[in-house]
Amino acid sequence: MTLLSIDNLNFSYGTEHTLRGISLKVAPGEIYCLLGPNGCGKTTLIDCVLGQHPLKSGDISLGSRSIHTLKPAEVASQIAFVPQLHAKTFPYSVFEIVLMGRTFATGTFSSPDRRDREIAREAIAMTGLEAISQKPYTQISGGELQLVMIARALAQKAKLIIMDEPTSHLDFKNENEILNLICALTRTEGLSFMLTTHDLNHPLYFENSGMPVRVGIMEQGQLIAQGKPSKVLTSDTIERLYHTRVVTHTGVMDGLPFSYIMAVPDKRRDAN
Amino acid sequence: MKLTLKLILRLLIFVVLPILMAVISMSTGRFEIPAGTVFEILFRAATGQSALVVKDLYTIVMEIRLPRTFLAMATGSALAVSGAAYQALFRNPLASPGILGVSSGAGFGAAISILLFGTLWTPVFAFVFGIVAVGASYLVGRVYKSSSTSTIMLVLGGTVISSIFSALLQLVKYVADPLNKLPAITFWLMGSLSAARSQDILMSSIPMGLGLVGLLLLSFRLNIISMGDREARSLGINVKVVKFFLIGFATLATAGAVSVSGVVGWIGLVIPHVGRMLVGNDNRKLIPASISLGASFMLLVDTLCRTLTGAEIPLGIVTALVGGPFFIYLLKRTKGENWA
Repeated sequence: MTLLSIDNLNFSYGTEHTLRGISLKVAPGEIYCLLGPNGCGKTTLIDCVLGQHPLKSGDISLGSRSIHTLKPAEVASQIAFVPQLHAKTFPYSVFEIVLMGRTFATGTFSSPDRRDREIAREAIAMTGLEAISQKPYTQISGGELQLVMIARALAQKAKLIIMDEPTSHLDFKNENEILNLICALTRTEGLSFMLTTHDLNHPLYFENSGMPVRVGIMEQGQLIAQGKPSKVLTSDTIERLYHTRVVTHTGVMDGLPFSYIMAVPDKRRDAN
Repeated sequence: MKLTLKLILRLLIFVVLPILMAVISMSTGRFEIPAGTVFEILFRAATGQSALVVKDLYTIVMEIRLPRTFLAMATGSALAVSGAAYQALFRNPLASPGILGVSSGAGFGAAISILLFGTLWTPVFAFVFGIVAVGASYLVGRVYKSSSTSTIMLVLGGTVISSIFSALLQLVKYVADPLNKLPAITFWLMGSLSAARSQDILMSSIPMGLGLVGLLLLSFRLNIISMGDREARSLGINVKVVKFFLIGFATLATAGAVSVSGVVGWIGLVIPHVGRMLVGNDNRKLIPASISLGASFMLLVDTLCRTLTGAEIPLGIVTALVGGPFFIYLLKRTKGENWA
């Protein structure tokens, strides 16, 4: 069973091909991480899934229906989105922002009702934001803002949450809190996540946590490898992709295997 | 306890204040009428006992001041609400109703009508050209190929179209007869409610009413649109369609207002911010608050215009003199934070 399936997707800005022949599937309860160098097309692919761009060819389907036959509200009921960088404009309260997640369920000329407010409160509780729910969201920290964006996505009650670099502006503690929240939501709510990241250790962290996770590696608009992080993220692949020397390390902690990747100084280059 | 106090305060500001301002506006003027008498006349007129009222007083209240009071409230509300809507739509607290060129278009329309036909058709011309200007800005904004109407391109379109209509307006002023036509054009541009006839008031209240109701109904959608195109779409709205209707309703309201009041600045910019301070930024509260505050403010300004000196002062002067210093205060208070 698949939640989201992308079949042979091609997309271009103008004449230049940006995405070529992308095919991937996201299953229920799975975390799918998109990796790849800057400019490889990760964000463009996400935008295509969100319906921002008309496709050149190929198809994206949700369940059994092609995304292009769905209205924005129907897509929003199945896919929620957490942006990389939310540009704040007006100081709405945290609760008001989370309530916006219920938009797809309200008629064009109406406002969220009692039930929508209830769902928003639940989402706030799930992300532990009760204490700041009435605060202007312009006056909270970056970590809290990311939680607010996740709460808004949770209020959509969608089965799939797409995140564009969910931890790129966060400190070490908040970064790990977000990763653990993703694991917890996958485990307890059965949600699926599709996220882009630059940190090779994120997919490994999910795998180390025992989550069903797959990575897709993109390079120049193509998906060049997919699979379990520990299988796909080999030093060879990464060195070829990023032109950086790395070591991968696998060990055992608390009786469970874990692995990580780190860059190492390239002595060979110095020697030349 | 705190909640009820807040509720009473809001009731006073948003319900009692406009009514109070309306009564003050109807009782003050060259001929002072006590507030009690105003109420009595209104009551008797409403219950069909107008024969019991002194005829002169009845004429002043029912035929001169009441229509003007109604017009002041309607135009004030319409301008304030359009301002609030555009601020959310353009994600910019400095946006005002004129951002897509409605004022420049209306100004040119009014000028050409004064030049060619006298004042008879001025509101119609102003209204039509206001709409034409916004339509043109919208089309310019769509020249850039994008999946939805780009905000920056819309603003650019508005700037270009505004300057074109301003240039055309200068041309009309340049060729207008400086003894009678030019002063008429200049006075129209400064804004006034004094020239509005009852049929103008009735005609203009249709687009203003439509715009107000439309924006009230779309107020939650305004919150979503202010999240930016990408997020708004992912939250489940058809950005292009919603933007089209928001611009349409805001334009109907503004064009309706400026067609009878002339170009009145500041209300659309400043009143929504007063509303933000009182009720916050949620447009479901801000839009109704702006309606009420806009009505009260316009009543205040119009009453000052009528009564400060022997001759009427143009609206635009008083709104800017009151609005300008207030805006500086506002900038100082917020220190320019989050004012993208």
